[in-house]
Amino acid sequence: MIRDKGLNRRETLAAAMGGLFMLTADEASAQATTNMTFWTVRLNTPELSAALKAILADFEKDNPGIKVKHEPVSGNLVYPKFLTAIRGQSMPDVAEAYSYHPLQFAAVDQMEPMDDIIDLWQKNGQLANIFNDYAYKKFFWKGKYWGVPYNLDIRPIYYRKDLLEAKGIKPPKTWAEFQAACIACNDPASGTFGAVFPAGDFHIAQHFYMSFMFQAGGSILDKDGNLVFGTTAKDANVKALTFLTDLATKHKVTPPGIASYNTDDAHTIFVQGRAAFGFGTGGVISRIMKENPSLFDKVGILEVLEGPAGPSGKLTAAFYNPMFVWNKSPAKEQAKTFIKWFIQPGRLERLYEAAPGQHWPIFKSDINTPRVQNNRLLSEALTKVVPYSTDFAYPGYGRPEMGVIDGEKMFAGPVNQVVVGAKTPEKAVMDAHEEMKKLFTS
Amino acid sequence: MYLQRRARFAYFLILPAVIVIALLDVYPIIEGVIVSLQNQNQMRANPEAFVGLKHYSRALFDEQIFWYSLGRSLVWTVFAVAGGYVVALALALLLNMEIWGRGIFRALFLIPWVIPDVCTALLWKWLYGDEFGVINFLLVKSGIVSKPVLWLSDPNLAMPAVIFVQIWKLYPVMFIVLLAALQNVPKELHEAATIDGANVRQRFVYITMPFLKKTSVIITLLGCIWTFQAFDIIYLLTGGGPANATKTLPTLIYDKAFWGLEMGYAAAIAMLMLAGLLVFSIAYLLVYRTKTQAEAV
Repeated sequence: MIRDKGLNRRETLAAAMGGLFMLTADEASAQATTNMTFWTVRLNTPELSAALKAILADFEKDNPGIKVKHEPVSGNLVYPKFLTAIRGQSMPDVAEAYSYHPLQFAAVDQMEPMDDIIDLWQKNGQLANIFNDYAYKKFFWKGKYWGVPYNLDIRPIYYRKDLLEAKGIKPPKTWAEFQAACIACNDPASGTFGAVFPAGDFHIAQHFYMSFMFQAGGSILDKDGNLVFGTTAKDANVKALTFLTDLATKHKVTPPGIASYNTDDAHTIFVQGRAAFGFGTGGVISRIMKENPSLFDKVGILEVLEGPAGPSGKLTAAFYNPMFVWNKSPAKEQAKTFIKWFIQPGRLERLYEAAPGQHWPIFKSDINTPRVQNNRLLSEALTKVVPYSTDFAYPGYGRPEMGVIDGEKMFAGPVNQVVVGAKTPEKAVMDAHEEMKKLFTS
Repeated sequence: MYLQRRARFAYFLILPAVIVIALLDVYPIIEGVIVSLQNQNQMRANPEAFVGLKHYSRALFDEQIFWYSLGRSLVWTVFAVAGGYVVALALALLLNMEIWGRGIFRALFLIPWVIPDVCTALLWKWLYGDEFGVINFLLVKSGIVSKPVLWLSDPNLAMPAVIFVQIWKLYPVMFIVLLAALQNVPKELHEAATIDGANVRQRFVYITMPFLKKTSVIITLLGCIWTFQAFDIIYLLTGGGPANATKTLPTLIYDKAFWGLEMGYAAAIAMLMLAGLLVFSIAYLLVYRTKTQAEAV
């Protein structure tokens, strides 16, 4: 029997089954790859994005079944974006964002507990490698950890070594010495102010007040998490606010317009060499290196000041920033795999190199690397600021309300109001306390 | 019968637009009303719990900040719209005359309108700066002031400063509308009035302004609606400060909703603001209807 060249029925069926198998196999292979969305808030500058891209490529190489889609979220739109996502149930699988986000989102049942990661870190020694307990304990609320820390954001005071030397002044160590140095170095006629800090109605204004608050023995919460801003801590908080704002109102050693200054305005004045002392974020170091390298050798970082509370209050505000996972994510496990991979000693070195000073590692083993040792300002920040850095809920631990207190600028308001003469420090503190009280009882 | 069919066809044609408007405008308003009646505190459990008029009562009776912000909003709106109108009218009158290069100037004066609000705010922040600001640099260099003026840092100057920016942003649209209206004023009337001995002021008051009246009312009401709800410029220039001096209702709503996480309370304030805007809107519709009816006659 001579066969036709075409396929018979059996062959056609076999070919069809084969094709179907191939299609199914292809789908199965596609299903094996999980796509995961990663929102970032503080890794969005061109330098940091490029460093992150390389880190994410490494992750995908090590974890071939997981693809990470990185989506930057603008700092101004953080809350609108997350709240809209909660309402639309379209949260990212994993995100890094502001300090209190995990607790705020946990309060509305959107966060996946991270206790398993903390347990893992406990077992593998990674937890003991974190240099400050606050870094992870601040995310503990209602019996669970809702986020894990991945970096530290510091608030140093920078100073001009050359200007102080010219006046024969040693770097101040106490409030009194600091105030005297600001007054002595203030020479606006020749274009140099004693100090510059942001006092606008923006969040950053409260970060520096916070440091002085601790140094005066004050705080917002007590160690049990109760609000004490305008009660037992009132006197210290008023003292701190008076000390900070006196620089502008009484001693007049700041630029006259600080009441509208945001972070960058204060940074710019200092980076241009127009202030003896500048309050800033760690990012000032990279700005000096990039924008005014000739200033680098003339700048130092001040050791955290000792205030009325003495050595026990020698603290400065800082933020341990979290990563967290959405509890309704279909890729929860992969998101946790990503976090476990991402937060490891040595892993984020490229981020730290991309923007020196802006981000600090949380691991002891990462903090004193040759990168830090070879950069004088980083070394100074490491020894003079990082060890004293604490969270703004200190001496309490995290509460979701702290995010709103920070977000609604409840203690930036007092700085701004006192600087413009709208309120006395005492009235500003008490009004802020009333606002906070409403929040805690709402 | 034919007319009925035509009417049905007309309704059919506008149906897509009605659906889009319902989805984009009506649905969010209904959702806003619902949210304003719920707890919607994004830090507490059961955000959808019904709380009735609690948020409205809090805004109207418990917290001064609502009334304070409403006052700031009215100051901001009235002065920005009045200022924008005066500038627009002056420019429209000027560029309605036969002067050299008026085509170029008409185009140039529209530039502020096409600049996005965020860019406008950043531009003016730089202009107003105490240490780096161009305005202060010029004022100090020319000896008009001895030290920089704290445009955005002084509670007494911050509101006028942001109002000026809004005037800068608002006048082009008013200008172009008034210019169009001016071109409809018959030249013969002016010629006749001139022959009868009317001076410039009399011609402006008795001929030009009556022709501009309806257009002016409409553009002023629209300006009020746009300005009352404007947010970006104030928020980016001052953040509502210093010491709440520029805390208008939109900045208060934004702070309460997105930083305070009190969506329900913020929605209630937004609904109260909407009620205020409705007053402007109804006035606009009444004037617009009168104008179109008058034109039809």
